[in-house]
Amino acid sequence: MPPRLNLFNARAAAPVLRQQPISSTRPGITTTISINRPTGHGVKTGLSSSTPLLRRWSSSNTGAKDIPETPKGPTEDQLPHVSEEAAEVSKIMDKKCDGTAASPELEQGTPISEILQRDKEAQKHMPKVMQDQIKSSTGTRSFSTSTRRNQTELHDQGKNIDEQTAAVMASMISQVNQQAEELHAGIKFDPVEPLPKTENFRTRYESLLEQFTKLLMEDGKLSKAQKDMAFILDHLRTAPPPQPNPRRPLLPGPPGPQLPLNPVLFLALIVDSVAPLIKIRQQKGIIGGGASVQIPVPLAQRQRRRTAIKWIIDASEKRRDSKFAQRVANELVAVAEGRSGVWDRREQQHKLGIAGRSNLGLARR
Amino acid sequence: MVSSFCWSCLTRLRSTPRAVLPPAVTAPRTALFHTSTARYAMPTKKSKSMEGPAKYRQAKSAKMKKKKPVDKVRPPPVGERKALRKRIVLSNPNALEVEGMQDISAETMVDARLRGSVLGLPVPMLTQLRAVEAFKPTQGWSIFRRPGTVVRRETLELGRLIDGISGDGQDKGKAVKKIVTGVRGSGKTVHLLQAMSMAFTKQWVVVTVPEPQDLVTAHTAYAPLSDETPHLYVQNHATAALLSRTVNANAQVLKDLKVSQEHPALKSAVKAGMTLEELARLGIQDPAIAWAVFQALWAELSATSAAPGFEKSFKPRPPMLVTVDGLSHWMKNSEYRTAEFEPIHSHDLVLVQHFLSLLKPGVGKSALPNGGLLLYSTSASNNPTIYSFEVALKQVTARNTGLSPSAAEFPQPDQYRGPDKRVLDVFDSPKPTNPKEGMLELQTLGGLTRDESRGFMEYFARSGLLREQINDEWVGEKWSLAGGGVIGELEKLGRRLRTIN
Repeated sequence: MPPRLNLFNARAAAPVLRQQPISSTRPGITTTISINRPTGHGVKTGLSSSTPLLRRWSSSNTGAKDIPETPKGPTEDQLPHVSEEAAEVSKIMDKKCDGTAASPELEQGTPISEILQRDKEAQKHMPKVMQDQIKSSTGTRSFSTSTRRNQTELHDQGKNIDEQTAAVMASMISQVNQQAEELHAGIKFDPVEPLPKTENFRTRYESLLEQFTKLLMEDGKLSKAQKDMAFILDHLRTAPPPQPNPRRPLLPGPPGPQLPLNPVLFLALIVDSVAPLIKIRQQKGIIGGGASVQIPVPLAQRQRRRTAIKWIIDASEKRRDSKFAQRVANELVAVAEGRSGVWDRREQQHKLGIAGRSNLGLARR
Repeated sequence: MVSSFCWSCLTRLRSTPRAVLPPAVTAPRTALFHTSTARYAMPTKKSKSMEGPAKYRQAKSAKMKKKKPVDKVRPPPVGERKALRKRIVLSNPNALEVEGMQDISAETMVDARLRGSVLGLPVPMLTQLRAVEAFKPTQGWSIFRRPGTVVRRETLELGRLIDGISGDGQDKGKAVKKIVTGVRGSGKTVHLLQAMSMAFTKQWVVVTVPEPQDLVTAHTAYAPLSDETPHLYVQNHATAALLSRTVNANAQVLKDLKVSQEHPALKSAVKAGMTLEELARLGIQDPAIAWAVFQALWAELSATSAAPGFEKSFKPRPPMLVTVDGLSHWMKNSEYRTAEFEPIHSHDLVLVQHFLSLLKPGVGKSALPNGGLLLYSTSASNNPTIYSFEVALKQVTARNTGLSPSAAEFPQPDQYRGPDKRVLDVFDSPKPTNPKEGMLELQTLGGLTRDESRGFMEYFARSGLLREQINDEWVGEKWSLAGGGVIGELEKLGRRLRTIN
């Protein structure tokens, strides 16, 4: 079905917006528009409000014409040159001298629809296309102003076309694909998988490893910290596999004897197992009287790990081994076997958190 | 807005009775009828602020609190940290046993099919290798189940060489002299280790200097050798340590060999029928005669026949392997000083002089008359840069290509850079006259080939240490990352475990 020709539409739409009602139906349309559109004034509807509103629309539609005038400079918008003015005058005078009727209708042209409307004789002789148009368009409104309402109704009609065109498009695409396949016998290389995160040299270490190494660092000596980390990983690799404590088990992972073969995973399991879920915030001023209440605050994964690593390093200070890395490594093994005081610290933290749950309501108020 | 109250109403409002109002904050909260708690309450603390005029004998100056003395942690006992640093761990029970791994033996060391695979060091040999200090603490032996080395092209050549020298072929009793160089991590020390393990397999006598630097850093005692040679210095304790290394490692061989010559320097200490092990132990027990004992032991080991009177118990001596790891420390002035406080050149230390003199062709007979291998390696880490040594090594290469020292292309030292004549002379060895003695060669170790790298990485994977799919692409990537298969770098890549999974 070819798109419907709408001869009245193109010309008629603009006058509606300019509020120059041609036919008797138009004022009604303007009111519907004004109701449909949300107005700034809210309550007032109908014709009374439509005038300023429509004026605003027209300004948006006509574009550059109605841009508020800006003050002009001294050299802008001067009167035309004397010779140009003379030419204009002579043009007007010449027309009159022609002897032909000089009505604005002849000079500027009238829409043929208007002529046909008032001239019944001409309607009989008008082209067949236009006659058909008038006959077929009975009962349907051909104004584009009401598209919002009509779109849903039109949509049902257009569905068939959409389906048809979609099918055609699909067949075309498949045909092109077939041709492409015939041209290229096969893809030569497998599609490239995205590189894992650790392949980028900036993030070449596991995030936990990096975090642990940087927390091991003293006085900004990263190389030293990295050496220590290597020592710790080697210790985890070579130390006898941990004897698990059933009361303080590590997070689920591979069985104990396999852990030393993957020291990074071993380290991650140890740290994550003792990482607390919450921290306790001492907040003053909730209950008054200067007393502070303990409020449990949930931690993100990185924060949890940081806390656990800090605890492990703190606990390793008490050890008597001569080397710092050795102390930390021994502490890590102690944590894995459930002997370390870090577990107590975590339990204590969680106990405080449970006791402080009731304070959460206070904090929110 | 006008209030709904009128003025008269407001004025008529009476004040609230006292009882209705909440008690004033300042009032004591205790019950009014009970006074004891208020009386027995702790007196209020005086404010510590320094405001106001001073009371009688009150100090007004700001007092700094004295810090409590922190109880200092006792430092670890002497030597503990060094022992920890120098500790050599050769086994990791957590690592997986590599199935089908062969040991170095007389058969495997010449088997070209094993190229690229890792051969284990036999467990009984480990004590010997430890005795000669073949392992270094920086090497990564500690992560594997048991120590093993890769068979590379140079290893196979070495195996054939050692096999030929101790075999019955035309190479029997040949003396080969090599200086091993290469970039850092290229496996020079492990090459020496492989030579030692092969020599032990073939029942050679192994003499090593694992740390040449220790002889010249003035950390061991020294003394002038004798009145006749006041410019030569002897290091008795270092010599005793050398004897100890040699005896511990080669006890099995030395026990079978008997003294075959007179040793006038040792006088009555040496008896006929004494084994060489007992002879060497004399020097370990009494470091004062260690140098004389070492000379006697060397003379015995390089004897081709017995002196008259000793023929009865003479056995032919085995070939010898002599290794020095890190030659360039010997190419400059030592840290020792003469009595006049002049620096002593390293070549004036008799021990150093002895090992360097072996590079020269022997006078009359070969430097190693019973055959053997001289492997002196340079070091690329902790290495002094010595210009004359660099030139000397170039000259060694040039001499091997057949250039005569008078030729124009022969590399000559730049006289303005102060070349050390003594260093150049050490390596200035003419072609030996003895057919059994080889010329001094320079062997440069490079990277592994890709196939050898693959074998090496598979060894990591089979030990359970590396969690990657070992294919040619992956190995090629690591080979390139390792500077063309430099084995030390490959080892780092193999043991660096970055990902959790």
